[in-house]
Amino acid sequence: MPGHIVSSYDNDLEDLRRSISEMGGVAEKMMAEATDALVRRDTALAEAVILADKRLDTLQREIEERSVLLIAKRQPMAIDLRETISAIRVSGDLERIGDLAKNVAKRVVAISDQAPAQKIVQGVEHMSDLVQEQLKDVLDAFSSRDVKAAHDVWERDGAIDALYNSLFRELLTYMMEDPRNISFCTHLLFCAKNVERIGDHTTNIAETIHYLATGEALAGERPKNDASNYATVTPAA
Amino acid sequence: MNAASAMNAAHFEGRGQADDTAPVRIACKDLNFYYGQFHGLKNVNLDFHDRQVTALIGPSGCGKSTLLRTFNRIYSLYPEQRAEGQILLDGSNILDGNVDLNDLRSRIGMVFQKPTPFPMSIYDNVAFGLRLYEKLPKAELDVRVEESLRKAALWDEVKDKLKQSGMGLSGGQQQRLCIARTVAQRPEVILFDEPTSALDPISTGRIEELIEQLRAEFTIVIVTHNMQQAARISQFTAFMYLGELVEFGPTNRIFMNPVKRQTQDYITGRFG
Repeated sequence: MPGHIVSSYDNDLEDLRRSISEMGGVAEKMMAEATDALVRRDTALAEAVILADKRLDTLQREIEERSVLLIAKRQPMAIDLRETISAIRVSGDLERIGDLAKNVAKRVVAISDQAPAQKIVQGVEHMSDLVQEQLKDVLDAFSSRDVKAAHDVWERDGAIDALYNSLFRELLTYMMEDPRNISFCTHLLFCAKNVERIGDHTTNIAETIHYLATGEALAGERPKNDASNYATVTPAA
Repeated sequence: MNAASAMNAAHFEGRGQADDTAPVRIACKDLNFYYGQFHGLKNVNLDFHDRQVTALIGPSGCGKSTLLRTFNRIYSLYPEQRAEGQILLDGSNILDGNVDLNDLRSRIGMVFQKPTPFPMSIYDNVAFGLRLYEKLPKAELDVRVEESLRKAALWDEVKDKLKQSGMGLSGGQQQRLCIARTVAQRPEVILFDEPTSALDPISTGRIEELIEQLRAEFTIVIVTHNMQQAARISQFTAFMYLGELVEFGPTNRIFMNPVKRQTQDYITGRFG
């Protein structure tokens, strides 16, 4: 695409793009480290994740301010307007992803002195790996404006919901097996929920990419498989 | 969920106010225009819908003012200029040799970039065309003048000084006086050639508000260099470049999601 006649306009948009990539990088790192900290019960790493969230908040505020200023000064049209609106949306999603990773890290601190079987944690780790892949793919799709790749992410969210459901049941079962697991498993359940919510935000970003590239909203119901609202496990008689 | 069907589910047509089911008031068919040897309009095919505002946008020299000037054949003042093809106003070709130009221009009014009040009183400015074309009794003339000034949103500001010169009004008021003078003829179509480019933001706002009101009664075609203005006040937008019509469609779509690359480059400020 040719540059704007007013070249500082290009710089403004480029700055927005750069800040979004930086946010994406921070969010990815936070999520990977929060998961690592959970698996290894590493409180120092968890504390670092909690601190990193500040950078994400700052970036998000900056992007929002600069987008509003850009709208006020330049009255963007067509692709420029969609780009600006998308920057606001995506930065909001990434900021939330940071919050959720931070929540996982906080729970690592809370459960650091408990040591139940490692295999209980593995389910959450596996789910987090899938969501991290989603996050990476959607960020790549954003920087390359790749609608097809964004769609793939959007469609894969159903699998994560399904995994969350089975994890939910699994954790309930552990709790029933041994009441000493309850505290740990409840924290773990919240961790799993946070990871699942991060997956939802990656699909939001995928929808934004679709809007950015095509100018149209991604219509239709997102593939959703979260049935944990209705899941119960009854102790065997 | 089928991705392709999800992608196609949302579209812009039907959103916003653009009504392409409104009857066609003016239809250009294979319209070509020449300034002597220079080919100013190239095979323009374009419909203007009744009681809709259509904005013509494009860089300087793209032919948008030329197109506007064909509709009331104001170009006929210059012997070396000629139009070919058809411009159908309510189905009959206004380019035909036997068209009465005075009658045509009372049906298609025009407001120019710079306010052009006549050097006479406010009242006489508005009554000018009425006295020329319609022999109205004084009381009826008064009614028409007031009605026109009201429609131009100027009545309250000038009702106590109708005998004063129109030249004494502010730029924005002069422009509304010219609109009143145009409206007085009860035209079917009003052409605006950059009506606010010489006005301050407040007067511009008044004119934009006025155009929105006039749309209830008239078909409006406006040439503007102000992209935001086109986006705000029109239902349809036509983008022209180098004498050709590049893209035409509902304004919301043209400004949010244009189909043609050239349109996008122009409205986002990427070429001049």
